Amino acid sequence: MAYLDTYTTPLMASAAAHLLRRATFGPTQQEINDFTGKTAAQAVDLLISNASYRATPPPPIEMDPAMSDAGQPFLGQPFRDSRSYSYFNYTKLWWIGLMCEQNGRLSLLEKLASFWQNHFVVNYMSIEDYRFVYQYLQLIRSNALGNFRDFVCAMSVDPAMLVFLNGNENSKEHPNENYARELQELFTVGQKDANGANNYTEQDVKAAAQVLTGWQTQNRRVEGSTTFGASFSTSRHDTSSKTFSVKYNNTVVQGRSDETAGEQELRDLVKMLLAHPECPRFICRKLYRWYVNTNITPEIEQEVITPLASFFCSAANDFAIAPVVKKLLTSNIFFDSKNVGAIIKSPAELMIGSVRFFDQPVPDMSTKYDAFRKFTTFLSNSMNMLQLNLLSQPSVFGSLPYYQTGYSRNWINETTIGVRGSRMDCFVNPSIEIETGSKLGIDILGRLRRLQPNFTDVSGTPAITCEQVLADFLKNLFPIEVSVAQRDFLIDSIMMMKSSPRSTWTREWDAYRLAPNDTSKQNTILWRCRALYKYLLRMAEYQLF
Amino acid sequence: MKRRDFLTSASALIAPMVLDGFRIKSFAQESALVRSLAKAGGLNTDRILVLIYLAGGNDGLNTVIPLEFYSEYYGLRSNIAIPESSVLKLSGNPQTGLHPSMVGMRALYDEGKLAIVNSVSYPNPDQSHYRSTDIWMTGVDSNKYATSGWAGRYLGDRFAGYPTGYPNAEMEDPLAIQIGQISTTTLLGGAQSMGVTIQDPNAFYQLIGEGNAAFDSQVPCCDAGELLSYVRQKQLLATGYASEIKIAADAGRNLATYPDASQKNELADQLKIVARLIHGGLKSKVYYVELGGFDTHAAQVGTTTTEGVHAQLLKKLSDAISAFQNDLKLQGTEDKVLGMTFSDFGRRATSNASKGTDHGIGAPMFVFGTGIKRQLVGTNPNLVSGLLPVTPTPGVSNRDIKMQIDFRRVYSDVLRDWFGINEAKGQAILYQNFNTTSLFSDTVVSIASGVWHDPSIWSSGRVPTLKDFVKIRNGHVIEAGLNVFAKELKVEPGGELKFLGDFTLNVTG
Repeated sequence: MAYLDTYTTPLMASAAAHLLRRATFGPTQQEINDFTGKTAAQAVDLLISNASYRATPPPPIEMDPAMSDAGQPFLGQPFRDSRSYSYFNYTKLWWIGLMCEQNGRLSLLEKLASFWQNHFVVNYMSIEDYRFVYQYLQLIRSNALGNFRDFVCAMSVDPAMLVFLNGNENSKEHPNENYARELQELFTVGQKDANGANNYTEQDVKAAAQVLTGWQTQNRRVEGSTTFGASFSTSRHDTSSKTFSVKYNNTVVQGRSDETAGEQELRDLVKMLLAHPECPRFICRKLYRWYVNTNITPEIEQEVITPLASFFCSAANDFAIAPVVKKLLTSNIFFDSKNVGAIIKSPAELMIGSVRFFDQPVPDMSTKYDAFRKFTTFLSNSMNMLQLNLLSQPSVFGSLPYYQTGYSRNWINETTIGVRGSRMDCFVNPSIEIETGSKLGIDILGRLRRLQPNFTDVSGTPAITCEQVLADFLKNLFPIEVSVAQRDFLIDSIMMMKSSPRSTWTREWDAYRLAPNDTSKQNTILWRCRALYKYLLRMAEYQLF
Repeated sequence: MKRRDFLTSASALIAPMVLDGFRIKSFAQESALVRSLAKAGGLNTDRILVLIYLAGGNDGLNTVIPLEFYSEYYGLRSNIAIPESSVLKLSGNPQTGLHPSMVGMRALYDEGKLAIVNSVSYPNPDQSHYRSTDIWMTGVDSNKYATSGWAGRYLGDRFAGYPTGYPNAEMEDPLAIQIGQISTTTLLGGAQSMGVTIQDPNAFYQLIGEGNAAFDSQVPCCDAGELLSYVRQKQLLATGYASEIKIAADAGRNLATYPDASQKNELADQLKIVARLIHGGLKSKVYYVELGGFDTHAAQVGTTTTEGVHAQLLKKLSDAISAFQNDLKLQGTEDKVLGMTFSDFGRRATSNASKGTDHGIGAPMFVFGTGIKRQLVGTNPNLVSGLLPVTPTPGVSNRDIKMQIDFRRVYSDVLRDWFGINEAKGQAILYQNFNTTSLFSDTVVSIASGVWHDPSIWSSGRVPTLKDFVKIRNGHVIEAGLNVFAKELKVEPGGELKFLGDFTLNVTG
């Protein structure tokens, strides 16, 4: 089995669930059903083509009902510094909403966009202008599946990035090396190759900084301004030719002085960076860690990273991103059982995955903006508590568990394990009100009623059993199988609380069937099933995906 | 998986006990608190290390200002230079001063409780935040890699087998506590963190509840199985330690005044918790706290150079450390606690045009507590002859501060002189032997042959004075071309002091 060859077996439910857990923030049961039976290639083609459906969603709006312009878009309005943080926050909530929604067109766009947002990091706290952050986020969303070369070029002169890594302060008299370094170390070639040799020199940092001189941003945080952006100024640009080290084959980026000098030299620079043999490997490793497994063995390096990188930079592919993602997500190695459940869920996969798995409807942003805000704020706050800060990562490296030794294990420590549990409790014991009379949470009774054939025919149709209830709760819940001993424990010790035989359940259930509106009968069922769900969602198995 | 293990691993999580449930356990088990209260004096005497990470790479030259080179200092960074008159002067040390925000730390220096280790770095420095931080945390050469942290390796050696069998009767408390969110590499042991990461002891207890468990289980193969074991173990350790941490937090008291909430001093908030846990008798050996924001590429100063981001950060640092040290003093725990700061790297001596500084090399570390025997290691960075590149090529204006002291020499002293481990263990933990800095000793030893007046041949990185016991070690030939001074001089067999002329040795005895 060549690792990177296409997995051709039609997808069983477990394989479909695996693909969707990784390619998106987590599937619904319906989506798992819909994808079962497709080939991996069909499934991934669909996940890619569905991205176009949300290419240009309606823009974020004012979500505070107390404001006079509630429900109205704010991006076209003159800049208001006093509202900047709120508008940034709505932009983030808007993105979280896109990650959660269930529109029948499941796509891999937002998960891949969040990969790139963690790659080309910008932190709002350094920008403080919502327009910059929205434009940056849209740049990411529109290039996520595009061409990496164009993406790097555009990102290098993106207004938010110019501010975040001080590119706007980089001039011929006073070069600022911040972006030039991160462009090489973090965005393209990586710091070192697999043998520990540096991929570039300090001189290359300085030379790249010279190439990038001359760019500035306009109207950041200027009250009342209606335009903003970045521009190139020839007077700030270093027009000399820039010589790079042997690491880049002594490439010389020819100095230019006209209005197009900035763009042309940038294009040359990026071309040189992408021609570095480590660049495609660096990006492919990062994609592998994001989608497949954080553990890259020498075998994986040879059998997966090397051919994937060759494909990425091949003349035919020419740094197109979508075909690389497709190749990875349809590969034998992706579906290898060793890679199922082999990553710890990020806070996004935990929170958004749970919202989707438990069919929590996303309130319509334009008509129910207050409910939308509450819903997405719950997720945003929860992810922050669990150390994922979208659009505000703690450093230019992105979130620590994506690069630090131990990788996804870093999401888990003594405190976050407790917070994860308490957040999941919100799904089990509904407490977060989204709209008047409507709380976020699992509809346990509805779920059981659908499981029970002929619900009202108590005498003629036998009650669903404890075993059936547990099997239903466990269906596609974990990436790995639960043993018989664990199932027995879950029924006898948790659901039946070590005090009642299993037959008690059927009596209680039938009593509820006979009087479905009797709250004491409902509560008996909820008491047992909530205990079971609370336990299941705090299990280590639920932390893996 | 054994059913019992499965039950114990998570059953505690489903029904956290009520808040004062811990009392039952504490008396039943004779916890740290119970035992320590039973002893006269109440507190155990074990030594503690508090690590303060300044995330982003602190600008050392605006933190500890070499007044003896003030005009060169100003020339390198006129747009961010602290005016000479604003620099805080140090008692008995007119050549050096502190940033004007550091009033509290200046007082600690003047009381003899703060040491400055100058121009700390490592050979072949790396200017990537990630890689350089990794080097500092793992304690490796810059061309080598390790997956464990230096403090984690120390704890792993001292508490063999952790986490299997922990907590136990000998060590019922976490080996280390990190106040924060994501576990630091510094505390990583061979397989996992040797520390427990908490944000707040009470919140932690409420979150985790109480548990009691031994763990041994079967899991599926490969990475998924390993991750499953890892998460389960974290659940067990959390439940196992939650009550002990809460006991200590409840028993401990903060006796000093810390910066109030309006100051938003997150470092002070963290150190306040640390002080409470120490006072409450928690036996943890290492505490780890963090202050971020030091990556000041632009606008590190404000309208005047004594205000702005860096001034605020240094104020937080200084206020927090001085409140913490005062708290320890009032608690009577001062003598068993040592504190130390570190950062990604220093920043460039030359400022950039954005009123900021780019990534650099050497920078000072602070070591504080009553345990230090020396307040200066290394000299002020020599801004005339001690910059890199030594002779800049035409057109190159950027200069860096050359290393004087390898950071692992400080680690080595902490391990050997503070924690008291032997040379062989120190070598095993830090992968090689490092010369002492004499930070915890009144004796300065030679570390190489050379000229007496060359600071780099002495362990303290400074030319000995009349206050120093001096020892010339076996194999070292020290040549004196000037009069030399010492409190006492000892020449080991095989060592030699050679006078190159008619000079005198002045010994006060």
